[in-house]
Amino acid sequence: MLGEFEYLIITAAASLGENAYSAGIRDEIARATGRKCSVGALYTTVDRLEAKGLVKTWMGEATPQRGGRAKRMVQVTAEGAREAEHFYNAVNRVTRNVSWARRGLRVT
Amino acid sequence: MMPVNFRNGSSWLNLSWLELLASGLSSGDRETVLGDLAEAGETGAQAFLAVAGLLIRRQLPVWRNWRPWLAAFGLAIPGSFLLMGFSVSIAQTYQSVIGGGVSPGLTMLLGDIGLLAAWSVTGGFALGTISRRTTWISAALSLLACGFCLGRFRIDSLSRLCLLLFLPPAMAGLCFGLRTSRIRFGASLAVAIAMTVLTTPHWNKPGAWLANWMLSWPAWYLVAIAWRHKARRRGFDAR
Repeated sequence: MLGEFEYLIITAAASLGENAYSAGIRDEIARATGRKCSVGALYTTVDRLEAKGLVKTWMGEATPQRGGRAKRMVQVTAEGAREAEHFYNAVNRVTRNVSWARRGLRVT
Repeated sequence: MMPVNFRNGSSWLNLSWLELLASGLSSGDRETVLGDLAEAGETGAQAFLAVAGLLIRRQLPVWRNWRPWLAAFGLAIPGSFLLMGFSVSIAQTYQSVIGGGVSPGLTMLLGDIGLLAAWSVTGGFALGTISRRTTWISAALSLLACGFCLGRFRIDSLSRLCLLLFLPPAMAGLCFGLRTSRIRFGASLAVAIAMTVLTTPHWNKPGAWLANWMLSWPAWYLVAIAWRHKARRRGFDAR
């Protein structure tokens, strides 16, 4: 099963779609959690996900705002999407009857 | 490569320090990390910590193996101290020979110079072979040991630089070790035997055996590595 941070990376990459790359994923995670993740944590976790076959990465284009340096593009594989879904369902099942989940449902 | 434009007035000095630190990363990591930091507009200190963090995370798995520990703490540090001591001893012998002293004589001096060169080259070579990914840390520890001794050198008749006589052959050995992918068994055995023979005049000195073996084991380690390569190759050819 995925770890929590692995799930965040896969979900952020999936939501960014074709534009998913390291800096974008970092921003997306910071927006969702309210905390900035470190470059080291992101890169080593992406490497681990790639080694497990859950994401695919490649060097993308260089842009002037990056000082002419290339992006590390990330794409979630079918296996990665399955694992993320499995994690999401497990979290949903385990939190179904807890107080904060019920409160959350009332708020939404 | 275009210059990276950091916000908050980060200077080119910060950038060069950052690039120097990032040089410890693989080229792919370096390219994307520096790009990400530039895009996020992180300040010099933040960017520095981010790169240092990634560098440490990348290095940690390497240190789960015994090889980096052996290279750093079994070879680089003790080897540097012992070779500095031997360099000073040679400089003193040289002074006494030049000064007309009969003992220990020119032959002894030449033998010691050969031994210093052999120990330094094989030590450097082994350092480059044992753990290539952590060579820069081993080299930094060795330089730290040199700095420590240079600061405490108190022999008026000698220059401090005589401590570093071992450094040029050791660096040559290190470069050679980093570039070499296969060691020849015959050559490594000949070097190890010649080196052991050169240590014989020191065998009667009390306690010298420990220093001798501390400095000679890299040569015998290289013999063992070459023998293993040879045995593997023979097994591969036999199949």
